[in-house]
Amino acid sequence: MSIEPAIIIKDLRKEFLLSTSGANSLKTALLWWRRRKKVHLDVLKGISFEVNKGECVAVVGRNGAGKSTLLALMARVYKQTSGTIEIRGRLAPLLELGAGFHDDLTGLENIYFNAIILGLTREQVRERIDKIVEFSELGEHVHSPTRTFSSGMIARLGFSIAVHVDADILLVDEVLAVGDFEFEKKCYAKIDEFRAKGGTILVVSHNPTAVKRIADRCVWLHKGHIKMIGKPEDVIPVYESTSMTVD
Amino acid sequence: MVQREIRIRYKNSALGFLWSMLNPLITVLVMSFMFSNFLHKDTPSVTAYILAAYLPFTFFQLCLLDSAQSILIAMPLLKKIYLPREILPIASVISNFIHLLLAFCTFFLYLLVVYVFFPGEHGLRQWPFQIGTLLLPVLLLINLALSLGLSFFISALNTFYEDVKYIVAVGVYLMLFMCPILYFEEDVAFSTLNNPQHWHGLLYNAMNLNPVFALSNAYRKLLIAPNKIKVDGHLVDPLPLDWRYVGWAAIVSVVILITGYNTFNKLKWRFVERP
Repeated sequence: MSIEPAIIIKDLRKEFLLSTSGANSLKTALLWWRRRKKVHLDVLKGISFEVNKGECVAVVGRNGAGKSTLLALMARVYKQTSGTIEIRGRLAPLLELGAGFHDDLTGLENIYFNAIILGLTREQVRERIDKIVEFSELGEHVHSPTRTFSSGMIARLGFSIAVHVDADILLVDEVLAVGDFEFEKKCYAKIDEFRAKGGTILVVSHNPTAVKRIADRCVWLHKGHIKMIGKPEDVIPVYESTSMTVD
Repeated sequence: MVQREIRIRYKNSALGFLWSMLNPLITVLVMSFMFSNFLHKDTPSVTAYILAAYLPFTFFQLCLLDSAQSILIAMPLLKKIYLPREILPIASVISNFIHLLLAFCTFFLYLLVVYVFFPGEHGLRQWPFQIGTLLLPVLLLINLALSLGLSFFISALNTFYEDVKYIVAVGVYLMLFMCPILYFEEDVAFSTLNNPQHWHGLLYNAMNLNPVFALSNAYRKLLIAPNKIKVDGHLVDPLPLDWRYVGWAAIVSVVILITGYNTFNKLKWRFVERP
């Protein structure tokens, strides 16, 4: 494994501005401008770590630790308050399977739309379309609008697209829990194949077994700080025992 | 990327294009019936005059109303995946712009049909393509810049204050009456309010500072040969098109486009974290 980093995160901070009044119209803003209170919420308080090429890093932590924010920042959904994120290579975010599907479009059209957003050209999608459909096991259903799909079907299609865009880096937010057992096995196989080709994965998970199964390294986030980085065998037991005592 | 967005829009409903043409078509039919029989019955081919100004106005109107919602509609997508935010208002403007171009094709077809089949006194006794028609792209460009700039403003603001779209809807509706679409520029210029002795043509000048007014007027004057118009019972000669106002409209439009885009850029990262 080369030691070249694929993701470099330096002193990353993110704070959200929460408005308690929930003013989302000019009228309320004008009427209640005196009472408006802004609450600053520091979600990430200066995080630095690197992910090497071909490595699989898992991020664990309790709810509200900032895991999802971290992924969203990397996917460029949010903009960081300060700090830098350097990403070398093409990134495919899997923040939620089937996000960005348009209900009225057919599965096939959604494949095109989604894959293009993820950075493929039309021709590239055309080359891969058969593989995507085959992997998703949707068969003839790809020709019906996605609003008729079950949640499992949407998840399968979403996963199938994401792994077929040939990204260099995959961001995964606890999605492996979807689909039946068979499909889950297929996903793991695909992830192994992806890693064998030198792909980098950053995964957020609550499932300790899944983390041990796929991750090389583990980052434990706690209240916006990194509490521990290390091999999953070392981090997970400590993490599990601490969460027990806190709860 | 813009193309994809448009494609999506069209796929949403097979009748999409038909619907978007039907609305202005019916409106203009009703209006032209009313105008040619009751209001401007002494003006020949009033339908063509209304169409020439009303089609671009519809474009302007739909741009602002569509783009107002564009960000909020795409919010589930924006929260999950990176997508250049500018695409959303741009896509709504461009898809409307394509509608406008198609609408203008229909407009010229209409002029041609009238020219060929109804050469009588109520018809249009002139070849449908004027020299001014060549300048149509210039007007379209100004119109596009203006609509896009305002769309940037509105889509960004409506994301934070969801009632902006209602204010815009009212504003655009009033704009229809403040512009020479249902009446003629000469109606304003020769009205008593605009009487040179008291007001020195102030009203006319003030209204012309509105870029939409100047544009509506320019579309009409360039696309169809101006006719004598009856104001207060006597016929008046049509005023020549004043290019200073068109130039002013162009400047205003570009300024709005630049400031609109900058505002949008400043706010775009806060869209997903709106309070």
